[in-house]
Amino acid sequence: MSSLETVLTSRLPEDAASWFRQALHKVRAKGEATDAFLIMWSGAGRRLGPTPLEAPTDDEKKLPFFPTGWGADEFGRLLLLQGALAARLPEAHAALVNELFVTGDLRERQAVLRALSHLPAPERFVVVGVEAVRNNAVSVIEAIACENPYPARHFPAEAFNQMVLKCLFCEVSLRRVQDLAPRVTPELRRMVEAYASERRAAGRSVPEDVALILT
Amino acid sequence: MRLFDPHVHMTSRTTDDYQAMAAAGIAAIVEPAFWVGQPRSHVGTFEDYFLSLLGWERFRSQQFGIRHYCTLALNPKEANNAALADGVLALLPRYLEKDGVVAVGEVGYDDQTPAEDRVFGAQLELARAHRLPVLIHTPHRDKKRGTERTLALLRETKFPPELALVDHNNEETLALVLDSGCWAGHSIYPATKMDEPRMVSLVQQFGAEKILINSAADWGVSDPLKVPKTAGAMRAAGITDAAIETICWKNPVRFFAQSGRLDLADGDAALTVDQRELWEGNSVLRGQAPRVDS
Repeated sequence: MSSLETVLTSRLPEDAASWFRQALHKVRAKGEATDAFLIMWSGAGRRLGPTPLEAPTDDEKKLPFFPTGWGADEFGRLLLLQGALAARLPEAHAALVNELFVTGDLRERQAVLRALSHLPAPERFVVVGVEAVRNNAVSVIEAIACENPYPARHFPAEAFNQMVLKCLFCEVSLRRVQDLAPRVTPELRRMVEAYASERRAAGRSVPEDVALILT
Repeated sequence: MRLFDPHVHMTSRTTDDYQAMAAAGIAAIVEPAFWVGQPRSHVGTFEDYFLSLLGWERFRSQQFGIRHYCTLALNPKEANNAALADGVLALLPRYLEKDGVVAVGEVGYDDQTPAEDRVFGAQLELARAHRLPVLIHTPHRDKKRGTERTLALLRETKFPPELALVDHNNEETLALVLDSGCWAGHSIYPATKMDEPRMVSLVQQFGAEKILINSAADWGVSDPLKVPKTAGAMRAAGITDAAIETICWKNPVRFFAQSGRLDLADGDAALTVDQRELWEGNSVLRGQAPRVDS
């Protein structure tokens, strides 16, 4: 039987899989100290590695979710975080997710952002998602903006509009933004038209993707 | 020849430096956490400093095709502020677990006080717990005594000498360090510390084994091209290319690879450079055409 846990462990070398099973067991234990969790969260990077997970088997296609395109470290961190939140009172969840983002290196931040919509009551973490759009490393922008249902579901209009403009500035294709069309508003059209106008006035090219907003 | 600068404080340097270093053949660097020129008064500023070494500076370096790693620690000078020291020591366990950290450092002695003894010892234990080597600063004042005291502490705590890189050596300390089994670093400076002709003499006398050189370039008068310049001086003096490559590439790779986190396979020095990437709202580029390697 496939589970999200075996999606990961079946793709890892045995020593990494064994480390991960033990780490998951520990973070799921009630009363696990936050410091110990943070150390496992950080150490997961070098143990699981950034290699993207291989495509799902037929059996795995029956799972409610498959982490297509995620690195093994990112997916392992999602499972660790789900375990850590399940072991904690809901009042502690937002602070922990925020801490992981603020004190994370690049890949840790990416893992938090990809995880957001898979966490319980995800609307509680909107501050982290919005903040990620201000952090401008392209890989971090992509983690929140691309192939991620979170912004369209939970971002307020102002933050969603900023994310669309940030994608245009960073040359991240708007085709990768999930559920873009229902979030297009007159205000977003105005902002994108102003951006296109500014580019034309400066003699610069206008990304083709603006057509997704303006037409 | 690929070159490795195993001690350079790039946070204090400009993009011109990065360009010149890449052009001179520097393919990998280690940036140790250190003193920032004036004392810090909050643990939180250390945390943000660690985060910048793991994040922005790593990213900035890679945009110029140079692989960036760091070492994290409380430096000896600030070990003398007890409240700060305890806070930073408490912070280190989670930061030492992160991906680009290849050693605990810079640790060691500055004034050689009891407070420095305590923090140095505690950080040797952290290195052991996180299976990391240590990068050890030796003091500028009373250097030989400080080096002897460093080697004595390593012996007393049974710290494996092959996991220790003792830095800033000179004619008075090198033999001591090599005899102890530790690796020996040399900071080549425009006016103080070590210079190119003296370094050439030391290599002629002691050979290449366990010898490293670095620029230790920072916010003072220093030169981030000292590794390539010293390599050139060694070549001009008739030292073999094999010996120069051992000092300027193989030895730092061997030392830091003991961390298990140096994702730098031999022959894999060239990074794919994509300067289009941005960080925290600031592109490193300001108007010029980005360099994009395919």
